[in-house]
Amino acid sequence: MARIRLESAGKRYPNGFAALESLSLDIRDKEFVVLLGPSGCGKSTTLNLVAGLEELTSGSLYFDDATMNAVPAHRRDVAMVFQSYALYPHKSVYENIAFGLRMRGHPAGEIEKRVRDAARRLEIEPLLERRPHQLSGGQRQRVALGRALVRQPAVFLMDEPLSNLDAALRIAMRAEIKQLHHTMQTTFVYVTHDQAEALTLADRIVVMRDGVIQQIGSPEAIYDRPRNTFVASFLGNPPINYLEGFLREKENQICFARGALSLILPRQYSERLRGQAGRPVKLGLRAEEVDEHSVPRAGETLHGRVSSVLPVGSDQYLGFEVEGSLLFFRVGRDLRHKEGEHVALSVNVNRAQIFDASTGESLLWDGSA
Amino acid sequence: MSRYDQMSALGLLAPMLVVLLVVAVFPVLYSFWVSLFDLKLTRPHRVPFVWLANYATVFQDPLFWASVWRTTWFTVISVAAIMVIALLAALLLNEEFRGRRFLSAVLLVPWAIPYVANGLMWKWIYDSGYGALNGLLFQLDFIDKYMVWLGDSEKTLALIANAFVWKEVPLATILILVGLKSIPGDLYSAARVDGANVWRRFVHITLPALRPSFMLVLIYEAMMAIRHFDLFFILTEGGPAEASHVLAWEVYVETFRKLSFGTGSALAYIMAILTFLLAFALIRALGKKL
Ligand SMILES: Nc1ncnc2c1ncn2[C@@H]1O[C@H](COP(=O)(O)OP(=O)(O)OP(=O)(O)O)[C@@H](O)[C@H]1O
Ligand SMILES: [Mg+2]
Repeated sequence: MARIRLESAGKRYPNGFAALESLSLDIRDKEFVVLLGPSGCGKSTTLNLVAGLEELTSGSLYFDDATMNAVPAHRRDVAMVFQSYALYPHKSVYENIAFGLRMRGHPAGEIEKRVRDAARRLEIEPLLERRPHQLSGGQRQRVALGRALVRQPAVFLMDEPLSNLDAALRIAMRAEIKQLHHTMQTTFVYVTHDQAEALTLADRIVVMRDGVIQQIGSPEAIYDRPRNTFVASFLGNPPINYLEGFLREKENQICFARGALSLILPRQYSERLRGQAGRPVKLGLRAEEVDEHSVPRAGETLHGRVSSVLPVGSDQYLGFEVEGSLLFFRVGRDLRHKEGEHVALSVNVNRAQIFDASTGESLLWDGSA
Repeated sequence: MSRYDQMSALGLLAPMLVVLLVVAVFPVLYSFWVSLFDLKLTRPHRVPFVWLANYATVFQDPLFWASVWRTTWFTVISVAAIMVIALLAALLLNEEFRGRRFLSAVLLVPWAIPYVANGLMWKWIYDSGYGALNGLLFQLDFIDKYMVWLGDSEKTLALIANAFVWKEVPLATILILVGLKSIPGDLYSAARVDGANVWRRFVHITLPALRPSFMLVLIYEAMMAIRHFDLFFILTEGGPAEASHVLAWEVYVETFRKLSFGTGSALAYIMAILTFLLAFALIRALGKKL
């Protein structure tokens, strides 16, 4: 049970590279927080600071109200699952799982019981006598989870634990990890660069870039109200579409305009966008925000040319040329458009995003998570 | 593989096979053949075939058993010292610190010195009249007069072992260092998070991972020590009295001083077989647990 607080945490590696400048993050007790970002953005660094595997070079780290800066890893009540699994190659599966308990001096009987419980729970009981090199990737992954959960730690850290598994297994393990969080009732910090994983697992997502937090919020908030184009682009598959254009006001309505295209923006946006007519902006439109069945209405319609049709089983992706830009939309597979055809697509303007054209900051951002 | 491929492979290997036959296989077989004759160069015209009598002679000679004992002792202390020192040196060189590269280079120097040069150097260091060891200890007030080192039968073997260890440590260090470098860093991270302190990480991660390196060093250095000759030849010639009369020296004395090629060959054969058995036993004993 622990709340984790990083206050202006900085990490400068011995070679002088500053992976984190000043990072502040408050993780609630029993929360499932996912650190999400591209490769090299400092996710592992942040996690290693919490684990005690790296030392902060500035700022502070607290577990509940205790300063942890100077507490070495082996005295912190954390468990960690590594991307490489890092199973001890010379120990049996049983000994791998028992190691953490042995190091912390638990009585033999209790160790036996806990290891067996964990093994049963992860369905690896028949493997207990094997060595790690005799296991498949998925089995190793379970042993690594077992080694962490058997400790019943206050903080459970995972660094891309699923990235070495194949796609099907990865989805199954997501569900198990979520289940694990429910039953363990402890704080989880999970690192990934897979946006789908983050959206599935997290109570809150922390989106990072170059060592700086871009946005913290629930999966819905991050997905529906991205703070900037970086966050908007990082989540969603296929990625969000952008159209560059201008804001325009007419008859008390605020519109997005580009060439012949004019989309009427929803009323709830007006407060934030009023009086900015002429401002260059980017309109963000997610791939699923078209409604192929509704009747096109003025101000909510894109007129353009279908440039490609890409079936992907359940749906199809439509490459769509509008005013000289190529957008991709996901539509149902019953829609029968052909390449080269000119069509009108009705868009869900209520979910459109508006970003400043040069800074990429959202103009709809209200500072809330 | 086609017949043609097999033939051409054989053709390409043939020159090397011939060389090996001439320089390795033939001498090995020939020396065994010689060990079955009572061949003495002091009596070159009468060379009776004696079956295994040379071996019997050797086994009945108390000097033989004494040299086996000395060789064992020399080997055990040398190899033990080499392993411990090389492990410590490798652990040191595996850390990042200023001057690490320089230290690595310095450490390699003994390796680059030929055995004979090494022997001559230590002969000078141990010299009772003007040796560096005496000079150093005297100046530091550890001794109040110059000592006879190699001439002291209690110390001879240990001092020769010391010279041998000095020469062998670099290679052993490198072998162990390679083993250390191949341990994934994540294992140490995992062990730290699991609550293992430095010492326990060493015992539970480092030592088991180094087992193959240890075995390599153990077998290689044991064989080197058992067969070692140069230092005994240069430093003491088996003396004082018989204090450093080891098996390799016995082979030399028998063959080239007494010119008794029959018993000399028999001794060499016994030594080879002992070395082989030792290596085999070590591999069996330690290899299983790899
Ligand atoms: N030991 C180190 N010394 C110097 N720089 C480092 C060190 N470890 C990491 N870095 C740098 O710090 C930055 C952040 O690294 P980090 O491992 O936290 O990234 P990450 O977000 O986990 O990336 P990935 O998704 O690839 O694992 C990177 O630019 C990396 O090159
Ligand atoms: Mg990482």
